[in-house]
Amino acid sequence: MFILRFLLRRLAQGALIIFLVSALIFTLLRVVPGDPVRLMAGGMAPEALIEEIATDMGLRDPIPVQFTRYMSGVVQGDLGQSFVRPANGAAVGGASFDDSTRSARAEVWDLIADTAPKTIQLACLAMVFALMIAIPIGVWGGLHPGGWPDRIALYTSSVFVSLPNFWLGIILALLLSVKLKLLPAIGYGGFAWTILPALVLAIEIAPFIIRSLTVSVAQIMGQNFIEIAGVRGLSRSQIIFRHGAKNAAVPLLNLLGVQFSMLLGGVLVVEFIFDYPGLGLLTINAVMQRDFPLIQGIAIVTAAAFVLINIVVDLLSTLIDPRLEY
Amino acid sequence: MYDQTGLPPVLEVEGLCVGADLPEGMKPILQDVSFSLRPREILSVIGESGAGKTVLARTLASWLADPLKVTGGSAKFRGTDLIKDPAAARKLAGREIAYVGGNPAGALDPTMTVGAQLVEKLRAVRPEIPAAEAKQKAIELLDAVRIPSAAQRFHEYPFQYSGGMMQRAMIVDALISDPALLIADNITQPLDVTVAAQILKLMRDLTGRFDTAVLFICSSLPVACDASDEVLVLNKGRVVERQVPERLISAPQHTYTAQLIRELPKLWDGTEAAPAEERGEPRPIMSVRGVAKHYTAKNRAQGGTNVVQAVRNVEFDVFQGDNFGLVGESGCGKSSLMRLLTGLERPDAGTILFEGEDIGSARPARIRELRRKFQLVLQDPYGSLPPQKSIGAILEEPLKIHRIGDRRERRERARSVMSEVGLSETLYEELPNGLSAGQRQRLNVARAMTLEPRLLIMDETLSALDQTEQHKMLDLFERLQAQHGFTYIFISHDLAMVRRVCSRIAVMYLGETVEVAPNDRLFFDPGHPYSRALLSAAPTLEERRYRPEDCLLEGEPPSPIDLPPGCAFASRCPQAFDRCRSENPGLTARGGRALAACFLNPRRGEETAQTTPETTHA
Ligand SMILES: Nc1ncnc2c1ncn2[C@@H]1O[C@H](COP(=O)(O)OP(=O)(O)OP(=O)(O)O)[C@@H](O)[C@H]1O
Ligand code: SF4
Ligand SMILES: [Mg+2]
Repeated sequence: MFILRFLLRRLAQGALIIFLVSALIFTLLRVVPGDPVRLMAGGMAPEALIEEIATDMGLRDPIPVQFTRYMSGVVQGDLGQSFVRPANGAAVGGASFDDSTRSARAEVWDLIADTAPKTIQLACLAMVFALMIAIPIGVWGGLHPGGWPDRIALYTSSVFVSLPNFWLGIILALLLSVKLKLLPAIGYGGFAWTILPALVLAIEIAPFIIRSLTVSVAQIMGQNFIEIAGVRGLSRSQIIFRHGAKNAAVPLLNLLGVQFSMLLGGVLVVEFIFDYPGLGLLTINAVMQRDFPLIQGIAIVTAAAFVLINIVVDLLSTLIDPRLEY
Repeated sequence: MYDQTGLPPVLEVEGLCVGADLPEGMKPILQDVSFSLRPREILSVIGESGAGKTVLARTLASWLADPLKVTGGSAKFRGTDLIKDPAAARKLAGREIAYVGGNPAGALDPTMTVGAQLVEKLRAVRPEIPAAEAKQKAIELLDAVRIPSAAQRFHEYPFQYSGGMMQRAMIVDALISDPALLIADNITQPLDVTVAAQILKLMRDLTGRFDTAVLFICSSLPVACDASDEVLVLNKGRVVERQVPERLISAPQHTYTAQLIRELPKLWDGTEAAPAEERGEPRPIMSVRGVAKHYTAKNRAQGGTNVVQAVRNVEFDVFQGDNFGLVGESGCGKSSLMRLLTGLERPDAGTILFEGEDIGSARPARIRELRRKFQLVLQDPYGSLPPQKSIGAILEEPLKIHRIGDRRERRERARSVMSEVGLSETLYEELPNGLSAGQRQRLNVARAMTLEPRLLIMDETLSALDQTEQHKMLDLFERLQAQHGFTYIFISHDLAMVRRVCSRIAVMYLGETVEVAPNDRLFFDPGHPYSRALLSAAPTLEERRYRPEDCLLEGEPPSPIDLPPGCAFASRCPQAFDRCRSENPGLTARGGRALAACFLNPRRGEETAQTTPETTHA
């Protein structure tokens, strides 16, 4: 019952957030310089033709009118069609202004559905790597506050934070795939291609997890119920893993929810470096081609994912710690 | 008494010495402590703060942390030396030797239900017990410690338990493994007297039922004598005597014990006259009429908000130059009322007149001005002083805020109040963190005094101090009152203290003043069943005028959220009858300047009521 009400409330909030994000992106795209029709039609197309195409596409209508039209499609599950990409694959260039096959352009939804799984795979693997690096270091540091494990945690995270991701990506690619030929680096041909970009992403987010863990573990291990647990007869491993870890999980979960947005930013850069055909690369290309419907679609989908992930995080937190209110 | 069970002792401590291994050398804390304990025996350990009681408890529970170290002696539990064989001692901890501390808050993991943790603990020390059996045992014990609807409460989380219930759950946690020895370190200290009395009774029942030996550590002599078969007195880390309670009181051997008994405040001692009323002018300095305050709190279970009736129907007068006492258990609204009296918050209804002016409706600027005349001295001696400021600066700050005097005058004023409260002037430049608890409390009083107030409100000011220090502070208050004509309001849960210093006392229950009476009248002829319950539970060595069996009821105050209609005390009152459940009695005069809110008092018209009692309320 509470869960139902909680879900309803949070989903309503989420819908509002998504709506605002769409409105913002939609408006920004139309006020910043760069005419998509000019890019579509190519530099040589006559001005009158461009105007004609633009009017035809509804791009000369007032923004609210365009937005209403667009959103009425969105609520029916139609994210529109890409301005530039044909349904059959590679992006089309500029020369095709007189192309009569405009109806064969790719559906935005299909483009996202094609690339999103790769990005989800990348994000999840990055998260797994990050946790594999951060949990031992962070927990160990938190168990010995002020001691050398704590300092190791601090130094590792400082080093990780100061590594720029594009630089790290290039170094790792050179080292692991060019020199040692251990892993493929560029493009995508299977799971192995995900490992290297995931590693770069993991190193980017690990320091935040390490720091949050050392702080929360240290704070929890200093609490009365942990101190008393030994006198009550619980073993050290019970104390650390059942009580310490469980209590430290709540701040960690919340952090992971927030980290997701960082991950999105990181994905853009990393996918670009490794030419990894995920949502990030799709976004970059869409922006460069002024592919309005695609940019909007990606914004809506990522905003929705963000909302959902945060709802899940909050639900899990309340399951772990009943004191948190829905 | 000594050999009542005829069983061999469970615990034999011989020449135990514990020291703190500090950089400047080994500081002895326990020296040559020896005693033995038989099954079913309850041995109290008393001693002043810092005597080493907790260190003793922790040594026996294998819970000594650096820098504390055992430096000699032995502690044999059924023949196993806990000192020589720490591995065996750790195995016994939690299983045969159980420990309950004085701080139940936060003693269990907040993310797991109380029941799950009881089962976890039992299965950790006795893995052979199946989970279902462990659960059943936990529920049985929760029931035995009178947790209402134990089977349901088993599934609740620690934050859903009140302090008293949590302490009972911790007792269950200690007893669930059928330990042979229970170490209880100050378990009643955080509890209200009525709840503490329930817990002591419970502990006695349980030790009889389960053959447990109890080491009952305690800082209050009456509680120790009440609870135990024998009392061990610890002074500066040494055992100075061990006697049965009756003999300890009638023939103390050691000077420390004798002094403790001598200084013990008495509740029903007729030889010393209670403070007389209206020693000053018979003019009220503060009049409180029908004051109410509610807060809205979020309701986590059902959503929406709850209205918490923190204060309601509060009525009393405080007379010039007088000592007024305000007593009641935790959560009864004393501190909320204090915030209203000092103008920190405004009441929803009623008036608070300070020298004829309504604080409740005065402009903020005016309240700030008035505040010079009534000062608050707070409860916590460690929290209320800014640690980075010198003592002199702390004292001059209120003068600066009110722009009084120049630098030299302020300095002079600070020095003079310091000497008045008995702080050496050499402390002027020092930081407050070097001060002892008693000195800090003096500083707090000095700070309140710099503005030459008329009324001092003491919110549990003395509760953190031990008996000896309390004594000195009360003497100081008396002297200051004689010199400056202060009026004091003492907000406290300590009946003995109130008995000693206050001439007029208000008793609060669930936000209401249920009785307002002169000192002697309240202690000898209370007009409200709740006052009688408080008196019956108060720790004292004297013969009780009110027996707990007649007055003390099970349970704890209902939450101020869903207040039942009618008398607030009806759910726990031994004398409640039908009318009490539908109608609120309201404060009524019962002659001799005493008022009480209970239908059992014959309504008397002979004296003009001090108040206009409300007979009903929302
Ligand atoms: N960890 C520690 N390091 C150094 N000294 C300590 C430590 N713990 C306690 N002491 C000292 O041991 C002495 C006894 O302390 P203990 O806590 O046993 O007193 P207590 O009798 O329990 O007092 P109270 O009634 O206030 O609880 C005190 O002088 C205290 O300063
Ligand atoms: S009014 Fe009734 S319930 Fe209330 S205290 Fe008196 S007898 Fe008890
Ligand atoms: Mg202690």
